[in-house]
Amino acid sequence: MARVLQGSPIVAEVRRSWLLSLLLALLTAGIVVALVDSEVSGTGAENVGESGPERPAVTPEPGPDRAADAERVRRRCKATQSNPGGTNNYIPDAPPRDSLGSGFVITGRVRSADGCRPLDGVRVQVWLATETGGEQDNRASVRTGSDGRYRIETDPTVPQFGEPNIHVGYDDDEYGEVFIRRVVDLDDERAVVDLTLARDG
Amino acid sequence: MADLRAPALGAAAGAVVALPLSLALTDRHFADASTALALSIVAGTLAASALAIQPLLARGRRIARHQLLGAVVLGLVLVHVGALFAESSSDAWFALSPDGPTRARMALIATLALFAVVALGALRTRLPLAPGTWRLLHGYLAVVVIALGIGHAVLTDGALDDAGTPVLLGLGAIGLLGVPAAHVARTRRARQRRPSSP
Repeated sequence: MARVLQGSPIVAEVRRSWLLSLLLALLTAGIVVALVDSEVSGTGAENVGESGPERPAVTPEPGPDRAADAERVRRRCKATQSNPGGTNNYIPDAPPRDSLGSGFVITGRVRSADGCRPLDGVRVQVWLATETGGEQDNRASVRTGSDGRYRIETDPTVPQFGEPNIHVGYDDDEYGEVFIRRVVDLDDERAVVDLTLARDG
Repeated sequence: MADLRAPALGAAAGAVVALPLSLALTDRHFADASTALALSIVAGTLAASALAIQPLLARGRRIARHQLLGAVVLGLVLVHVGALFAESSSDAWFALSPDGPTRARMALIATLALFAVVALGALRTRLPLAPGTWRLLHGYLAVVVIALGIGHAVLTDGALDDAGTPVLLGLGAIGLLGVPAAHVARTRRARQRRPSSP
């Protein structure tokens, strides 16, 4: 009986349909895994958009307590890591500019990983696609103030490859380079990108 | 009374193409777009419309228009991707990389499935596949192309936001319902052609 069934076209058809079902199930599982494994906006590209009034910077005042001051100096903050896509459309040495338009603000605080203190006079480069041009047209270098804050106003963002995104980079000599790609929503008024810089080595 | 089915279907197909295209062309993101990006938007929008119509063209006896539209979809997708590389090669490579966003991964898988489904169609008579197996594979890949291609368009911010989203979902629904409809129609026709056993 088994020998008769072995050569039967029905058995061949059933075996073929099982193999095909297995192939399609594996393909479907592979597609689902590939999609679930991805990040919605790309690896490490968290949404840093904000709306409403800007929050004032909170800078810790140096206290009278010497022990607390010494503790602050000993502290170490985790350095900001570059994320994939951070260097997309980067052109070194963006020109110093006070503004790239109006309607959207890119701001943040820059501090040192060693001691977590705000860094004064550090050059940060920003670039983004806006209503008036692409990422290679809208780029600027800005410097931090004594509280470690930088701020530049730009024209409203537009989607770049399907989503508005902001680039912030540091590549001067004093600290290790950092290139960040973050996303915002179309109706956001502001992107807040803080950087913690660490010395090389 | 004259047969009104052909003109009615032609008008429906025209609406499926014209509605999303007019939304995209009148959107403010299209007005801000560079030439390369504008070309990419137009090609992507036309491809989304074509994906809705394509399975329905496989229901009939003749499939010449289905084959022609398949080649057109492939061409539109290549123009869409090529224009994105012209716009920014670094962003395009990033989108295709393992670190790219979900919408780009959907587009990548849909494009690979499109290559496979077109190759399957072109090599139909040369492949050692039973007709039923071929139809199932072709239909499966078509579902992947439509679901992930339209999903990519829905997740993409740009010229088909707002009113464009329900239109895209409608196109996806038409396309996805068209696949089993075409599969059933062609399987039934194949059974009718097969000589009945004694």
